[in-house]
Amino acid sequence: MSSIARSIRPFASRALAQKPFTCTPRAAPAFRFPRGTRSFSQSPFVRVKKYTESHEWIELAEGSNTAKIGITNYAAHSLGDVVFVELPEVDLEVGAGEPVGAVESVKSASDVLSPVAGKVIRGNTVLEDNAKTINASPEGEGWIAEIEVADVAALDALLDEAAYNETLDQ
Amino acid sequence: MLLRPCLAWSLRGCVRQVRHNSSYPLERFSDLARRPSSQHQIYQSLSTDPYVNLSIEHFLLENAPADSSVLFLYINRPCVVIGRNQNPWLETDLRVLENDRRFNSGRHDAAVYVRRRSGGGAVFHDEGNLNYSVISPRTTFTRDKHAEMVVRALHRVGAVNTSVNERHDIVMKSPATGPASDEPKFRKVSGSAFKLTRHRALHHGTCLLDSPNIYDLGRFLRSPARGYIQARGVDSVRSPVGNVSSALADSYFSMQTVMDNIVEEFASLYQVHADVVRRARRALAGEPDLYAGNSWVMGTVSDAHGEQEPDIRKGIAELRSLEWKYTQTPQFTFSTYPTEDDPRERPPLPATLPSSTRVFLRLKHGAIIESNVSLSEDGAVASDQASHMQDILNGQKLHEITTERWTEMLRQGLSDFSDVDDALLQELAEYLGDLLGGQ
Repeated sequence: MSSIARSIRPFASRALAQKPFTCTPRAAPAFRFPRGTRSFSQSPFVRVKKYTESHEWIELAEGSNTAKIGITNYAAHSLGDVVFVELPEVDLEVGAGEPVGAVESVKSASDVLSPVAGKVIRGNTVLEDNAKTINASPEGEGWIAEIEVADVAALDALLDEAAYNETLDQ
Repeated sequence: MLLRPCLAWSLRGCVRQVRHNSSYPLERFSDLARRPSSQHQIYQSLSTDPYVNLSIEHFLLENAPADSSVLFLYINRPCVVIGRNQNPWLETDLRVLENDRRFNSGRHDAAVYVRRRSGGGAVFHDEGNLNYSVISPRTTFTRDKHAEMVVRALHRVGAVNTSVNERHDIVMKSPATGPASDEPKFRKVSGSAFKLTRHRALHHGTCLLDSPNIYDLGRFLRSPARGYIQARGVDSVRSPVGNVSSALADSYFSMQTVMDNIVEEFASLYQVHADVVRRARRALAGEPDLYAGNSWVMGTVSDAHGEQEPDIRKGIAELRSLEWKYTQTPQFTFSTYPTEDDPRERPPLPATLPSSTRVFLRLKHGAIIESNVSLSEDGAVASDQASHMQDILNGQKLHEITTERWTEMLRQGLSDFSDVDDALLQELAEYLGDLLGGQ
């Protein structure tokens, strides 16, 4: 949604002023189906990464129903220096759109919402000692929670990379 | 267009007055706040209870329409408010605050301790401090926008030396000072904090207009345990503070004048109709009433609204709970001796304790998960003592440990060792209780 995208753009300016915004997408999956034709629930061996309008990503581990969740490159740069990450408790049951953690940056507390329903396997303890990992690698080492996804098919309804990027351009 | 106030609620949305003492007005507040057409909402709280005010504010953040703009003004009774990810043992002096950790603990006139839902650092509130809060769509939000709004209001009352700094706080430039003066160049008069949700941004700020405690804030915000604690989470940035009133010679200045000017600036920022602003001035002048038009709501809210609306009541209960206040604390360590992770030199031990006394605690969610407590100078004995104590301390929640409880636990773990007398254990218990809120 464009409104969300625009919403955090204003505070991006400071982060951008400090270091150039280098959006380095993760290595692309080994192969891709044409956009819009694949059904993830039927293709367990494809690495699936999806996005939300509120700037979370979720990536399903290959051939399993566990997934990592984090905030996008765009969100991390926009929020500015992350000073603290609240990790979820192990075994916490979350619904889609419910908080699975929270980040604090520049006096601002923001919830991180789980893109789909599931149960928390673990939080990323790397962030306990080094919250800034989120700024350095929001879509890699800075993942926030790993969850057991209740229904893998629920990921189908989320945005793919291209659709997410479109929300940023609006 | 304003119509004459009418008493019956009309779906056509005619302007009406909700009478505070009639049979339905209280729940009207939540209905009006949630109403999709309530684009502009302006409220002043008659409550001075920080838990109530923060919960009304949170209710407005969660329930006002996604495209609405809300201004909420309130003044709290004396309290210390820490940020969501802060540590009360580190940011406040629990000894001078109302003791919420025990039943019937006496003083109820003392300042209260509050953890808010937004980020940022610890602040002190009292009756000379005005809190402003603006809830608006994230799409148009910036961190300076509403601090700038308040600065324009302060300029209108004559505080022309105020401005927003790089930390999104409002500071006041000191009058020209001589080179030898200790007077800082800027004094902070207002601190900001934010809470962001999917669609909404909440910016709330303090504004020290005329605090009678201005020279005494450090007493509330200085922890006796600061030299011993290393904490994850968010540290407060300490700044010299001042009252806006100190810059104003004339006596026209009043809390109400500043509030009126903030309402005016909010109205101009969000294009609220001038008639509504005039109405707001009258409404906020103290009448316990709510007014509403097609696209706006304004008036006063009170403790009664907190009791009436289930979501607000839930918010109050959460903020008051010891789980939120204490066990929400990010992980931290307390140590009476330098450690690898925190090599600072420590304050001296009380003369009554042997120099071999060692107390190290690691806490997660406010509970002890690791410890090293010993008195002996003999390494082997000390390690034995520490292991006894660890069995007892493990899992204990720090806010539940009174000085008496420290005594009991130290007796349980250490009184079997030779050379440990009971007076010594009591000394140690009092030392720890005093540093860690054992009152």
